[in-house]
Amino acid sequence: MTIIGGIGFTAPWLLVGLAALPVLWLILRAVPPAPIRRRFPGVVLLLGLSDDETVSDRTPWWLLLLRILAVAAIILGLAGPVFNPKRGEGGTGPLLIALDASWAGAGSWKAKMELLEEHLTDAGRAGRPVAVMSLTDPEVPVFQSAEVMRSRLPGLAPRPWQAGHAEIDRVEAALSNLAATETRWLSDGLDHPGRNRLISLFESLGPLQVYETGASVTALAPAEFKDGLIGVNAARSRAGVIQDTTVLAIGRDPAGVERVLSSVTLSFDTDATTASAELSLPSELRGRITRFEIQGTRSAGSVTLSDDSLKRREVALIAGREDREGLELLSPLHYLEQALEPTADLLRGGLFDILPANPDVIVLADVAILSQAETEALLDWVDAGGMLLRFAGPRLAASDISRDTEDPLMPVRLRAGGRSVGGAMSWGEPKALAPFAEGSPFFGLAVPQDVTVSAQVMAQPDPTLADRVAAALSDGTPLVTRKAIGRGQVVLFHVTANAEWSTLPLSGLFVEMLERLAVSSSAARPDAGDLEGTVWQPVQVLDGFGALVDAGNLPGVDGPALVSDPVGATLQPGVYMDGDRLLARNVIGPDTTIAPADWPSRIAVEGLETRSELPLAGLLLGLSLLLLLADVVASLALSGRLRAAQARGVATIALVGCLGFAIPAEAQTAPIAGEENVAVSATSEVVLAHVLTGDTQLDSTARAGLRGLSDVLFFRTSVEPNAPIGVDLERDELAFFPLLYWPITPSQPTPSADAYARLNTYLRSGGMILFDTRDANISGFGTASPNGRKLQELAAALDIPPLEPIPADHVVTRTFYLLQDFPGRHSGREVWVEAAPPDAEQIEGMPFRNLNDGVTPVVIGGNDWAAAWATDAQGRPSFPVGRGYAGERQREIAYRFGVNLIMYVLTGNYKSDQVHVPALLDRLGQ
Amino acid sequence: MIPSSALRLRSEEEASRLPPLLARAEHLAGTVLLGDHGRRRAGLGDDFWQYRPAQHGDSRRMIDHRRSARGDAQFVREREWQIAQSVMMWVDQGASMRFSSAPDTIPTKADRARVLGLATAILLVRGGERVGLTGTALPPQRGNAQILRLADAFSQDSAVEYAPPEHRAMIPHARAFFVSDFLGDMTDVRLALTKAADRGVRGVLLQVLDPIEEDFPFSGRTIFESVGGSVVHETLKAGDLRGRYIERLARRRDELTQLCAATGWQMGHHHTSQSAQSALLWIYRALDGGTQ
Repeated sequence: MTIIGGIGFTAPWLLVGLAALPVLWLILRAVPPAPIRRRFPGVVLLLGLSDDETVSDRTPWWLLLLRILAVAAIILGLAGPVFNPKRGEGGTGPLLIALDASWAGAGSWKAKMELLEEHLTDAGRAGRPVAVMSLTDPEVPVFQSAEVMRSRLPGLAPRPWQAGHAEIDRVEAALSNLAATETRWLSDGLDHPGRNRLISLFESLGPLQVYETGASVTALAPAEFKDGLIGVNAARSRAGVIQDTTVLAIGRDPAGVERVLSSVTLSFDTDATTASAELSLPSELRGRITRFEIQGTRSAGSVTLSDDSLKRREVALIAGREDREGLELLSPLHYLEQALEPTADLLRGGLFDILPANPDVIVLADVAILSQAETEALLDWVDAGGMLLRFAGPRLAASDISRDTEDPLMPVRLRAGGRSVGGAMSWGEPKALAPFAEGSPFFGLAVPQDVTVSAQVMAQPDPTLADRVAAALSDGTPLVTRKAIGRGQVVLFHVTANAEWSTLPLSGLFVEMLERLAVSSSAARPDAGDLEGTVWQPVQVLDGFGALVDAGNLPGVDGPALVSDPVGATLQPGVYMDGDRLLARNVIGPDTTIAPADWPSRIAVEGLETRSELPLAGLLLGLSLLLLLADVVASLALSGRLRAAQARGVATIALVGCLGFAIPAEAQTAPIAGEENVAVSATSEVVLAHVLTGDTQLDSTARAGLRGLSDVLFFRTSVEPNAPIGVDLERDELAFFPLLYWPITPSQPTPSADAYARLNTYLRSGGMILFDTRDANISGFGTASPNGRKLQELAAALDIPPLEPIPADHVVTRTFYLLQDFPGRHSGREVWVEAAPPDAEQIEGMPFRNLNDGVTPVVIGGNDWAAAWATDAQGRPSFPVGRGYAGERQREIAYRFGVNLIMYVLTGNYKSDQVHVPALLDRLGQ
Repeated sequence: MIPSSALRLRSEEEASRLPPLLARAEHLAGTVLLGDHGRRRAGLGDDFWQYRPAQHGDSRRMIDHRRSARGDAQFVREREWQIAQSVMMWVDQGASMRFSSAPDTIPTKADRARVLGLATAILLVRGGERVGLTGTALPPQRGNAQILRLADAFSQDSAVEYAPPEHRAMIPHARAFFVSDFLGDMTDVRLALTKAADRGVRGVLLQVLDPIEEDFPFSGRTIFESVGGSVVHETLKAGDLRGRYIERLARRRDELTQLCAATGWQMGHHHTSQSAQSALLWIYRALDGGTQ
């Protein structure tokens, strides 16, 4: 790639074509635009007119410029310009890329990987073998092709430590056999011991180049608990700006969900590299904190794990003997209180008051007798992980507890009476303590010589006794015994908790022993001496990004090493456990300082930012296309052809636009409108409806019949129905329709229970169904025909009142026309309607009974009315009725029946009113 | 010799062109309410003019007995003097007339000229005048058959690029009606008009132009050619010619106007984008005014 003025060209030789542009200019300039031929009758008037200036009609300069620019853009575009071209760093031979890969670089890990990939790409282009070396986990570099190395990149991860002397020794060993290589060092920007050694190592191999972000690294120091406050300290590698950092305290809530329990903001002053803040939390909340972390950063250095140092154990103190008022120093609990007060929360009270609070430790000082219930409650509590600490005393010695059989809450059986040595009434000297045996929780504690025991309770020699002894006197008698119960344990001090029987409570050893037993946790961080002889098992360790991962099968660590050794592969930062005690080893210790790496001036340091290439070819070619389009428009405008083209183009665009927008809009509205339209058209006018039987022929006949009847109604009466609608009983709303015409066919499905419910509602609320068996049966609607049987079956579930054949004075005989026959295509006589009430009687002199109430909900007949009414779209009858004129008369009577029926449905018993009697009498000719 | 089939085909084509022209012309003519074309004085004619007392010299046959029977005096029924004028028309059939700047919306000049000419002829025939063409082809006659003949004659295109006005066989003291774009040679027009003036023929000139011929909305390098293709003019910058073209057109129009004034003719302008009806009204008034 050739780079000209910061822009690279993949095909630079094409740029020579730019030299031809002036020639193109001249050619274009010399050639006037092509003429347009026009028919124009007025041309005779033009004859003899000459152009004023011939020069001016050459292609105008701006159009020329447009074209030249378009051509130039094409040439430039084809030459393959690339903005921000990657410069090959040059160089040949093997390339070693060293990564600090420590926690400090976890924040910018992605950028590092991108830079690394870029270097690999460069090396791949140049065909150089590459090796990648992680300084926190150095291995002998193997030089391979860039592609192979690239496939191994995902395996790289930052480590939660920095390269220390151990690692640098390994680096030195790994580099010792290497030929000259160029080295690129992706530094995390933090100083660390031995860095100068590394520089000289790399420089001895060949040229060295360093890449680092130059950004400040912020790290969190372990939280300290002092005077009831948690002190949070953070440090940063570079000062210079005011920086606010939020530190989150994270732990599990009572439901076991990890969440942010509290947060505090640390402010770095402009010139300060450290900041601190204090956090005041209730002890309950404080005990839940498992770690602190800096909000918004991903690095092991911004996480500090908390251990027992923040926890304050809850210790319940119960003494068997509280009667020595005023003699505080003789109180069995006084020394315990003194020892535990600084590091534990003490609880006082009755056993049953204390147990629900679930203390970590319950101390029973000279308590001998426990009730059965207390014993069981305590056993449950110990079994669940509690620690019961018992002290002997006169009462315990006097009781028979654990005498013959081992009490469940005592670690050993006791001999009666105990013993006292070195007292006024006894021989011998008070006994001193024997050194703690290996395997004892107290192993490693120094035994002061001034601790003596003058009285104690004695353990019965049992087979299990040796295992249960944690501390013994110099004569071998047990001083402290213990026994595990479930997840908890019972520990018995064979002396009193006050200074009556021994001087142990007066010594510092007493406090240390309590600490070892995790009765108390030490406020100060333990030093190597405190941890002498302990082995700590990692529980969880941090990865480089600051996430806690399960420690797996990492080996245990010696106590002194845990606190004094620097973190590394063998001592990974994390939470370590020994027995009940937790100790956290953090990336940053309390006295760790972080400082920016300071590079000698001879070493070139570059930033991490990678510049992505931006190919410009597409852009330029697109530009040239735009310019050429503009040229088309301009040329058309110049030669006067634009107007016609414009008009046509606008029309086309408008047409396309209309098509594009109109079609989807229509498609969208259609389905939504469907159901609503039916409802609207059914309710805006009277609409006759028929039940869809599923028989296409029958349905279309019913529809045509209702259409014919609707037309007749329209022409003859003031009822002006809309087009009839077929109704699906299962789906459609029935309430819109005054009349349902229901032709019966044996094959139609029986409606569902739901549909019957709606049909009954329809009938009760004033609807009417006209059942038509269409079989000209005598309308006995009996079992004579399949249709009749089907009708019986269909109507069985309907709420139908008693029926009778239409009586001669029924309202339907006179609602519009005066009728006595109700023929359809057939002329069966009997049509059944609701029976008149039994008390209706004809009054003398009146033509009809007073049947004022109720419209019959059903009309049942078999005359196939729809066929008689049916007309096609032109209004011609679809089916023949009868023969000749008599047949037409029958059709007319059928229409009249239909009109009467609709009138009956719509007006009810209006015509039954006696008001109409005179008029009716007149019409009847009486 | 033209094969009979081809002749028939052409005839059918011509005939098919005729009815629309006629129908449009009739339609157009129907919009003009025909006023009474009488001479407003007694003379030979069909319409009643007045009863006047019989005078000496009146023959007995002239006495109107129905009127005279009402009284003692004898009356003569006089009719309005109605004479028929001869109107000779010339509609430019030249190629230059077959032009329209927007064929979809604007008719060709020839089309408009023929419709106007035929509509005028229909009006004149309804008014009882004799209408014919200048020249010897179709002498003035009256009656509807003449209109059919005129329509037939108007339907024939001429191959001449700019047709000169036909000025032969002009009937003295007749009327004339010339429709053209008058873009051709002026000497022919001058000759025709002076010859007409010599014979006492007066009439109307109607210049039919396409709107584009008035505006000259061209620019850029353009080759203008006449409709027949015989006249060609190339320009590199059409936009520059506009002013001079319009000036020339105005000068041509002035020339025509002066010529008309000198010969007693009337001059009218019409654009094909305008309504034909207004032009027809103007023509009718101009011709009618001329006959008064």
